[in-house]
Amino acid sequence: MLRANAITKRFGRTLALDAVDFQALPGEIHALVGENGAGKTTLMNVLAGSLAADHGEAILDGLPLQAGSPRAALAAGIAAVHQSPMLFERMTWEENLALGGFDTGTGALDLDAIAARARSLGAKLGFEMPPDGATVENRSVAERVRLEVLRALSFNPRVLILDEPTSVLAPSQLAPFLDLLRNLRGEGRIVVLITHKLAEAIAVADRITVLRRGRVVARTTPAETSEENLAGLMIGEIIAQPALSATPSHSGAPVLQIEDLTLDDHTGRRILDRLSFRVAAGEIVGIAGVDGNGQTELVELLAGARQPSSGKIKLLDGSPGATMAVIPQNRDLDGLILDMRLWENLILARRLREQVTSHGWLNASHAIDLCRELIDRFRIRAPGPETTAGALSGGNRQRLEVARAFASRPKVIVAHNICRGLDLAATAEVHRTMLDFAFGPGRGAVLLISSDLDELLAICGRLLIISRGKIRETDPGERDPQRLGLLMAGARD
Amino acid sequence: MLEAFLISSITMATPILLAALGELLVEESGVINIGIEGAMLAGAFAALAIAYFSGSTALGLGGGVAAGVAINAIFAVLVVNLAVNQVVTGTAVSILALGLTGVFYRKLFGVTGKAFMVAPIAKIPLGPLARIPLLGPVLFNHNALVYFTFILAPALWYVIAHTRYGLRLRACGERPEAADALGLGVIAIRWQALVVSGAMTGLAGAFLTLAYAGTFVENISAGRGFVALSVVIVGRWNSWGLVAASVLFGAAMALQFGLQALGTIVPYQLFLALPYALTLVVLAGFGGQAAAPSALGEPYRRD
Amino acid sequence: MLSSIAKPFAALALAAALISIVLAALGASPLGVFAALGEGAFGSWYACVDTVVKSTPLVFTGLAVALAFSGALWNIGADGQLTIGAIAAGAIGPHLGNFPHPIAIAGILAAGCLGGAVWGGLAGWLRARRDVNEVISTIMLNFVAVQALSWVVHGPLMEPSRAYPTSSPIARAAQLEFYFAPSRINLGMLLAVVLAAVCYLLLFRTGAGFELRAMGRNRRAATFFGVRIPALTFWVMTLSGALAGLGGAVQVSAISHRLYEKLSPGWGFEAIAVALVARLNPLGIIPAAILFGALDNGSQAMQRTQGVSPELVQVIQGLVILIILAFDTPAWSAVREQIFGATGEAAAVPPVAEMPDA
Repeated sequence: MLRANAITKRFGRTLALDAVDFQALPGEIHALVGENGAGKTTLMNVLAGSLAADHGEAILDGLPLQAGSPRAALAAGIAAVHQSPMLFERMTWEENLALGGFDTGTGALDLDAIAARARSLGAKLGFEMPPDGATVENRSVAERVRLEVLRALSFNPRVLILDEPTSVLAPSQLAPFLDLLRNLRGEGRIVVLITHKLAEAIAVADRITVLRRGRVVARTTPAETSEENLAGLMIGEIIAQPALSATPSHSGAPVLQIEDLTLDDHTGRRILDRLSFRVAAGEIVGIAGVDGNGQTELVELLAGARQPSSGKIKLLDGSPGATMAVIPQNRDLDGLILDMRLWENLILARRLREQVTSHGWLNASHAIDLCRELIDRFRIRAPGPETTAGALSGGNRQRLEVARAFASRPKVIVAHNICRGLDLAATAEVHRTMLDFAFGPGRGAVLLISSDLDELLAICGRLLIISRGKIRETDPGERDPQRLGLLMAGARD
Repeated sequence: MLEAFLISSITMATPILLAALGELLVEESGVINIGIEGAMLAGAFAALAIAYFSGSTALGLGGGVAAGVAINAIFAVLVVNLAVNQVVTGTAVSILALGLTGVFYRKLFGVTGKAFMVAPIAKIPLGPLARIPLLGPVLFNHNALVYFTFILAPALWYVIAHTRYGLRLRACGERPEAADALGLGVIAIRWQALVVSGAMTGLAGAFLTLAYAGTFVENISAGRGFVALSVVIVGRWNSWGLVAASVLFGAAMALQFGLQALGTIVPYQLFLALPYALTLVVLAGFGGQAAAPSALGEPYRRD
Repeated sequence: MLSSIAKPFAALALAAALISIVLAALGASPLGVFAALGEGAFGSWYACVDTVVKSTPLVFTGLAVALAFSGALWNIGADGQLTIGAIAAGAIGPHLGNFPHPIAIAGILAAGCLGGAVWGGLAGWLRARRDVNEVISTIMLNFVAVQALSWVVHGPLMEPSRAYPTSSPIARAAQLEFYFAPSRINLGMLLAVVLAAVCYLLLFRTGAGFELRAMGRNRRAATFFGVRIPALTFWVMTLSGALAGLGGAVQVSAISHRLYEKLSPGWGFEAIAVALVARLNPLGIIPAAILFGALDNGSQAMQRTQGVSPELVQVIQGLVILIILAFDTPAWSAVREQIFGATGEAAAVPPVAEMPDA
């Protein structure tokens, strides 16, 4: 039995875990659900030894676990598959697995033997292994998940903790993955599944623990609960979903037109292949796709950070100064400079910078005023415009990015995985903002690029699928996640 | 003539290669150590001072090793434990070592200009091999440190590419968070790389004073540590490439003396500048960082 | 604001403590040494002025380093850029005799700028177009510059009697004259102060300066928002070199009036300590330069009266840099937050070394 007693963990001023008790039994799949930011990943890191808790202890089969030591956790039999990729890109998959448990640890390093062991375990699980000597760099997202799971299993762990493993899988790959979890349960292991996808939790878990703001608020089983019930427990209130039915019947003239957009990388590999589509005023168009099919590059092209190999991006709105605002994903790496102040982050957007600059001269007080105004309008919780962006919480950083996108009064907004990592309330807020932007008096155009099919189906009018750098429109009436998921998976895998 | 030049090339290449091999270990673990110049200089000074006052070359070599380790330890505390900017720290360490060796040199040996010298380490001819025409003296008639260094290169290649430890080392330089999550212990491994590299670089410095010059002058390393950094890049983080690049730069340094002896009308400063200019040219042609470990230069901290 | 002043002081205090240990190991008296340093730097009117004279090149090189470091461009080559600027000044200086004084001054200073700009621009181009790590390229260029200087004073620019390895003296017209003789106060100092103000405005009040700082703190974000990294890299390195070269020209024009070997006692490296103490703020460069100029000035007295060689100043430089970096680590941020509140002040130097990536 895996037990966590009164685990408490603080990061600076944030209390991530507040005296959390948790228990999981052998031969059970235990789902740990909660919003983003509820503390699930933190709890996992404590159990897996990556983090040392401030108070409390973890106990496996009666023996206390040494805090803050991943090595001790692995030795005790706890293996984790993390949400962010933990593979070594430039090494071969055999080398990656050799750093797991397939290596005997004595004698010379025998990569062939390791590969053989990996293959046999993979066969048992129905995994297909990459070709010999292939590096991880060019592997697909689903292959990487499999390799990480394989590496974790190579430790023959008593406990396997998986953090949002299905978030990068196409819908068609979900069922086999859940079956895998059931197999592992059948072997008598303890499987802890961390997820915010309630349907999955109910489908596969034996017991469910709900976290909210660092506290356990419920322990239940699928029989005793439902998705709505869990959602309510997770957020503690009913969030008024934005008025999704209020989609206008006609959208306006096209504003953003993409013509035969093509991008080849420096080795000649084609990343984007003759993309053509358009977004009209008053419309929210979604591009659904599994990460790694060209979305990031498309966003870079739209932002002007990169030049296409051929093709055109056109803004068709006649009014002068029509602009496009792009919100990149992975906010901490691309969108914000954490060391800089809020108003400085604001003027990263070229349009805004031009507004506060004359003849190359930067008008700081003008920028600061603008920032203050946006902080109020978008209810960003921050001491002031002079605050460093790094001091803001994740949700507030996202608000800042949304604020920046809107501040330049764009005609088109492009957002990439904008709700990833946000809790339900913040997600609803972002969706509301987008809907107002599109269907309000301004009749803006929104292009949402996301791997979250649910999110897209909720608010998008038209849906495009991107797969291997190619785009296709879907039938207007096609809303079945299964079929769309198949299209997303495309020929990949 | 040619023979003297080739022998000199090998001799000049040795400290550069030794330091570069150490730096290779460090960079594979994800750290770039600009302080390598300081470690070499400290090693050079300590080796000479200890050999001179104790009369023992062995103690001198040990002193050089210890000094190199000490300098790298200062660097390691800041860069590995405190996760600060590696480039500026390394530069500061080199400045610090320059100052410390200068101050202690003046203190111990005064400004009287009294030449204090030690007998250079003896060469060890390798029997009949040393008698092969041209190749013999060039390859097989050197002191022990030279043999050690050139044998170390393939040994290190094997360790890095084919052993368990090498795999862990490279994991730290590729993605330290993942390495830590697997229980590899990034901090410990980076410290180990820096200590071993410090020993090697200190030894390289000791070579300069004990085997090559027989004395110490201020800033005797003259940028060889920095050249070693370039050697790692030009050699594309590969032991064999490092050997080739080191010999190339060693040859450039050897050229100085050969051509000076010719008494040409070309100014001698050109030859003194040659190794550094050559480094630039080679880097311009081959200096891409594509082959570098992914996490090179990024401070890493376990939260 | 308070913390940005308190930190350098704390760093200096700690450096003083560590230096005392070194001095004790040398058998010298720490108090005696510090007294001698202070006396030599500020003990008399002439000493004070001379401290300012010695600080002037540090302002130029300090600005050069601060600008480049702000963009995460590690310009370790300010010494070489200053040297090449000095060579350009020393080459053209003797021929400016027939020009009116202001023109000659402008000419010699422009030559210095140009020389340094070329030297810095070369490293900038190598980084922008050839992906060459600028740390190594600037260090290599330092060594080449030293040899270039040696060559010109032994060769093409050598003074006519060929008795000493120096260049011909620059024309009277091209010399920055002294005010309040016998002090060596000259307009170069004023130029340095003006440039510091200009650099401050450039860095914090222009769009270009903003882009530079953005590039330094988060290259990927800067790229995403349209900052043209290669061009910016080239121009910043060129400007940085120009500043250092100008410092070399001022030194030749005002003080040395000719070229000789070892013109720079390491101003380019000292500039790194200056820039860090100033936390890369151009206005802070002035007091920081005076601090290190005082150390340089006082070190001669220190050598005379205490028998400690001037290289101790380099030890101080190295220690100060290390301590300032150490104070900036996140380990201290919790303590900082308690004292100064959670405004989240950034580290003095961009933490990530931003190795060039293909």
